[in-house]
Amino acid sequence: MMITKIEEKENRLIAFFAGRLDTAAAVQTTEDVKPLLQVSDKEIVLDCTDLAYISSSGLRIFLSIRKEAATKGNRVIVRNINADIRQVFMMTGFISLFEIE
Amino acid sequence: MFHFKKKKRSYAGLWIILVAAIVLELTACIQYVFSRAGIRAEAEQRARSELCRAELEINVVTAQMEAAVQMLAMLAEKHVDSPDSIAEATRALVSTLKSVRSAGIAYTADYFPQQGHWFEVCSSRETMDGKTIVYTRQIGNQNHDYLQTEWFANGMTIDSCWWSEPYYDDSGARAMVVSCSYPIRNAKGEKVAVALVDLSLEYLKTVSDYLQVYKDSYYSIVSSKGLDIVAHPDTIEGKKYHIFDEEIDATGWHISVIIPDDVIFADLKRISLIVMLLMLAGLAILAFIVYRAGRDMLRLVDSTAANERMENELNIARSIQMAMVPKVFPPFPDRLDLDIYGMVNPAKEVGGDLYDFYLRTDKLFFCIGDVSGKGVPAALVMATIRSLFRSIAAQEEGPAAIMGRMNDTLSEQNGQNMFVTLFLGILDMHTGRLDYCNAGHNAPVLQGRKLEVVPNLPLGIMQGYVYQAQTTQLEYNQLLFLYTDGLTEAENDSQHQYGEERMLNVLQGIANNRPRNVVETLQADVEAFVGDAQQSDDLTMMAIRYQIPAIVFRNDIQQIPTLSEWIEGLNLPKELDMPVNLALEEAVSNVMLYAYPENRNGQVLVEFARTSDQAGEKIVFTISDTGIPFDPTQKEEVDITLSSEQRAIGGLGIHLVRKLMDEMEYKREGNKNVLTLIKNL
Repeated sequence: MMITKIEEKENRLIAFFAGRLDTAAAVQTTEDVKPLLQVSDKEIVLDCTDLAYISSSGLRIFLSIRKEAATKGNRVIVRNINADIRQVFMMTGFISLFEIE
Repeated sequence: MFHFKKKKRSYAGLWIILVAAIVLELTACIQYVFSRAGIRAEAEQRARSELCRAELEINVVTAQMEAAVQMLAMLAEKHVDSPDSIAEATRALVSTLKSVRSAGIAYTADYFPQQGHWFEVCSSRETMDGKTIVYTRQIGNQNHDYLQTEWFANGMTIDSCWWSEPYYDDSGARAMVVSCSYPIRNAKGEKVAVALVDLSLEYLKTVSDYLQVYKDSYYSIVSSKGLDIVAHPDTIEGKKYHIFDEEIDATGWHISVIIPDDVIFADLKRISLIVMLLMLAGLAILAFIVYRAGRDMLRLVDSTAANERMENELNIARSIQMAMVPKVFPPFPDRLDLDIYGMVNPAKEVGGDLYDFYLRTDKLFFCIGDVSGKGVPAALVMATIRSLFRSIAAQEEGPAAIMGRMNDTLSEQNGQNMFVTLFLGILDMHTGRLDYCNAGHNAPVLQGRKLEVVPNLPLGIMQGYVYQAQTTQLEYNQLLFLYTDGLTEAENDSQHQYGEERMLNVLQGIANNRPRNVVETLQADVEAFVGDAQQSDDLTMMAIRYQIPAIVFRNDIQQIPTLSEWIEGLNLPKELDMPVNLALEEAVSNVMLYAYPENRNGQVLVEFARTSDQAGEKIVFTISDTGIPFDPTQKEEVDITLSSEQRAIGGLGIHLVRKLMDEMEYKREGNKNVLTLIKNL
């Protein structure tokens, strides 16, 4: 069960992820994050407070958001990752690709 | 509060000691008074009896003397003119009678002219060098002028026995004596001589020894004129004393026994002293005991108020109950085909719920039950049931036979008329066949539906009852849920019961049917239902899942979420949860992506095993599929140091598997891709 919610606040677009972002959930999540790829002049925040788990499919979504933002010169901030996800970020070098809050 | 109690305690102790002291003192006083009277009476009695005895003895002696002197006189009268015969008579008398110190016959002046003015024949006993010799001689002369003595004068004038005062006889007996004299007549009836026997005072003293009533008492025999005949010891001045006396008729003597008070009561005084010391010692011991008891009582009052003791008893029952049910989960970590979870949530007032299970020759024997009644008795019956289950199930094969034997034993011992509802099952781990027998217990739920049960009697009601067993088949990954009425009859504040319907709804709504998850979900739901109402009965649940340590996926990534449930059932250490999940997900989704292209139909099988070698324990996952050959180990390593612009979107999955697992090995076996992942524990 995976829920993605996007809110716009001041100059930021904030995506709230809740649940397990596994291969099955990634299909829907890829759809859900499309607004993040279309935005041109806003900071993007990926709020992971309620994200329990992430697999490579989820990482791919994160990476595609990062790549798209980079072409437009936008910042991407990853917020509140748990210990498990931090471990995955370390193993994949994602820890240095994102601004982690 | 504590201080107050302490004060109260010490006063109470003081009172106890005081009352004890007074009672003991009074007892001692009364005893002393009565003892004193008794001892005085006894002393008098004793003195009088000894006095009588002495009087008798002395009477015997004096009567003997009187008889002796009269006999001597009689003999002398027959041979009055034959001095030799008379001498012989005196000698015979002294030799025969021990009490006689000397005997003699004294004639009037000039009776035998040829013998001179004085003639007295005398025999006397004398002791020389340990030998007693009797001397006979004529002792009358001017130095021993017997004619002037009182005994001769009285002997010549009085016609009966006459007793002299004590005197020292210097010529005949040569000792202190009293004499008895008697007249002797010739054929014409004229008094011509006096017969005389001397009683030695020393002899009299040996006779009077009885009069020594106490070691320190006194006695005396006094003549009619007040002269001491026998006295022992000499003085009794300055003491309070008791005198007892008697008069001897024949001689007019007075016998006295004098007993000073301190002699009579010496024993009593000694005993009283000992009693007093014992009393003091007793009081000291009592004081010590009161002090200690007071302290212990305080401790008791402080630490265990009445309700706390009650609580203790309940705790005992609870401990019995909790010690009997399995609490370590998973109970069989090596068995991947079995997942069990159970719990007892005892009510405040402990009941007798139980569940138990054990494995024998690849068969799982399990039971769940509810003992009627509450508290320690129910807990004890529950313990009995549990041990009966263990011992009987070790011998019997069928559930009906086990149930029957348990029922017989329980009915036989059932003093309390308690009964037990019990569900008993035997699950064959090879086939999934479940043989069961239900003794009046709530029907378990198999995969959301109540198991069909025949109405057997509960245990402990009728000895010899024949139980009927039933059989069903468990499929892989089906869940058998067992419970006691503590679940369905749990009440909320408005006295509504949780009910079977709600339970079944919850069971059917649970997606993840791992036993622990099912039990905990129901527990949370029943707790939410009950709210603040007090739990009135034990709540016991047990869930059993018969499973295969493998999982099969269709070629559909939407199947991936079931992987995490399956992994949860493997009961791996918690820290492995994420790494195993992620590695398996990546491996399985890789197969789906690359081995089965274009949504081809196919399956992915994941098997689990635990092994160990010198390096230690390890877990092994084997992932196999029948897709096109695909070796993920050949995939190029991702460079994680590249920037986001340079990095490719893919390739992360297999990279993560490498990172998360310790070993990865690929083999193509026939038409199968077989990937082995190993993680060291």
